[in-house]
Amino acid sequence: MALRKFFGLVLVVLFGVVALSGVSVEIGISPREIGAVMDEHISNFEAQNPDIQIEWLKVPGVPGQQHSQYVTLFFGGSDKPDIIAMDIIWPGEFASRGWLAPLNEYFPEEEHAEFIENMIDAAKYEGDVYGVPLYINGLHLYYRKDLLKKYGFTPPNTWEELVEQASYIVEQEKDPNLYGYISMWGKIEGLFMNYLQFFWGKGGEFFDEEGNVVVNSKEGVEALQFMVDMIYEYNLAPESIVTYTPDDARILFQQGRAVFMVVQDFVWPILTASDSIVADKVDFMRVPYFEGYPDTNTVCLGGWLLGININSQHKEEAWKFIEYLTSHEAQLRTAAVTGNLPTRQSVYEDSRLVEQFPVANKQYKDFMVGNVRPSAQLGEKYTQVSEIMQREIQSALLRLKTPQRALDDAVSQINALLR
Amino acid sequence: MNKKTGIFLILPAFIILITIFIGPTIYTIVLSFSSYSFTGVEFSGLSNFSRLFNDPSFWRAFYNTLIFVGVTVPIELFLGFLLALVANKAMKGRSIIRVALLIPWALPTALNALAWRWMYNTDYGLFNSILINLNIIDTPINWLGEIPLAMISMMIVAIWKTSSFMALLILTGLQTIPSELYEAAKIDGATNWQALRKITIPLVRPSIMVSLLFRTGDAFRSFELPYNLTGGGPVNSTETLSVFAYNNFFQYLDFSYSSTIALIQFLLLLGLAIIYLRTLRWDIYE
Repeated sequence: MALRKFFGLVLVVLFGVVALSGVSVEIGISPREIGAVMDEHISNFEAQNPDIQIEWLKVPGVPGQQHSQYVTLFFGGSDKPDIIAMDIIWPGEFASRGWLAPLNEYFPEEEHAEFIENMIDAAKYEGDVYGVPLYINGLHLYYRKDLLKKYGFTPPNTWEELVEQASYIVEQEKDPNLYGYISMWGKIEGLFMNYLQFFWGKGGEFFDEEGNVVVNSKEGVEALQFMVDMIYEYNLAPESIVTYTPDDARILFQQGRAVFMVVQDFVWPILTASDSIVADKVDFMRVPYFEGYPDTNTVCLGGWLLGININSQHKEEAWKFIEYLTSHEAQLRTAAVTGNLPTRQSVYEDSRLVEQFPVANKQYKDFMVGNVRPSAQLGEKYTQVSEIMQREIQSALLRLKTPQRALDDAVSQINALLR
Repeated sequence: MNKKTGIFLILPAFIILITIFIGPTIYTIVLSFSSYSFTGVEFSGLSNFSRLFNDPSFWRAFYNTLIFVGVTVPIELFLGFLLALVANKAMKGRSIIRVALLIPWALPTALNALAWRWMYNTDYGLFNSILINLNIIDTPINWLGEIPLAMISMMIVAIWKTSSFMALLILTGLQTIPSELYEAAKIDGATNWQALRKITIPLVRPSIMVSLLFRTGDAFRSFELPYNLTGGGPVNSTETLSVFAYNNFFQYLDFSYSSTIALIQFLLLLGLAIIYLRTLRWDIYE
């Protein structure tokens, strides 16, 4: 016992000495993002920069809970973590609160072009840049290629085709446990993302030319009506879909209980793992559009950025680590290990990417028809607007209101909020 | 030991209490009368309160909370009282019953909520699977995806979890009743029912009082259960006042408004507590 205590003490002293010998930079990022490759990145970076130690603050995997943790830290004026990973919808909100350090001097305008444009737009607030894109993701349409093949269908380009195919397959399979379409329609951010894809696929725009919210337009109402019909008219989506998170949908699909599913790309490695019963039966493609709107961008994009805490005592060193994590080689390695796609355009021209992560280019092609949520325009009001939309969309999905009425109510609440 | 030393000894604890409890409370009150922005805190009078009373989301959360408290607390009290009577009976396995009573209450609410979320799952959950296999239902029940069923499902979890807490508190009260009273009543020819009404209930009243106060306060502030079980959905049918306040603080970063909600919640709870203390008298020998 005494010996163990002694060794413990020695360890503590050693750690103290190590900590004193350099600058310690703390990064807040959840293991769910790029956790599998994080330790490797940290040790490589520390080997290159012996005077900097990286501390990894493992924040919760659910974005909403991460958001809460950061709000608590920033609200209290904490100087740690020095670096935070932000969901694509946060930089505007955090910057408007004065919680992020502007990165203009480290990340000049001419370097922005090296990244995917949508992601850079999300990093800006009132002309300054507050984040560097770490990786990009988006929604895809996952489908059971074995079932489509069995009935001689080619993957659907339009929602009308999808309804026709799914109805036929469900009818022929005669399996009460097989659903035609599933997605994340619980009261979460994902519901708003999923609504937007139908809305965009009708040619809808969230704002008109004057900047008014016009989500209760004809396109908006038709998109919501389509979602309601998915449940009650076509009987393709189960009524329980209003409780689904992305993982709930993924579990059902993995059990072979759905023909089509729309969720983010994090499910691909899980669905194709050797222990998945749909491993060789699943494929994905871009999110469909409605008939007559082939040029609409319907893939709702997401992604993560790295920013620096305004109170950080080590901004220079923090910047060095951000620079490292978003470099060509690091992004390539991240994609190979975790399946999270690079934000640097040059990585896509690198032949090693497809070798190491075969579906990378296929996913990237879907992002070419991608669209972002209206978070940059709404800034700090975005989360609240999204919540209003989630609530009203669910009112229509539960048939408490007509789609027209639900969206009219949503617009009047959003206008009251933005005033 | 003189008075000075005494004061000196309690000073550290006192200072800690002031800083971690009273400080934030005062700050909450300050925030609710102001508008918080990046530039600083500006006094804004009663604007937060007028906004609150005109906000349908607040009224919905208020209504949800009242319904939740109004339904779960009486049922928990009734069940808790029955459980306490059973646990108080001198019989074999009494200690096992007491341990069994502790378990639901000892499990963290957040974990409970997640476990129940799995059991309630419409597509592969335990409850639907049992009911379908027993041919009680033929289509799955959408436990957490319908109004008002989601609220009822949430109430069931609360009742399951906290009836035992009530039982434990009431049990301590039952233990203090001298058995001579029952023996005397028996000799006088009292039935069991009369003994319960004339002896047990009056004497156990203080414990009932305490458990009611505790539980009403807890139920009124319930957060982990709705947050983890339903997230406040579908629509906002299970959003309690605490979830509403949390969302305004952590999701919308509206610190002043959130403080206002918390303050109103506190005042409501204070009012409830006073009503309790007035109607259910503490003294048992009236």
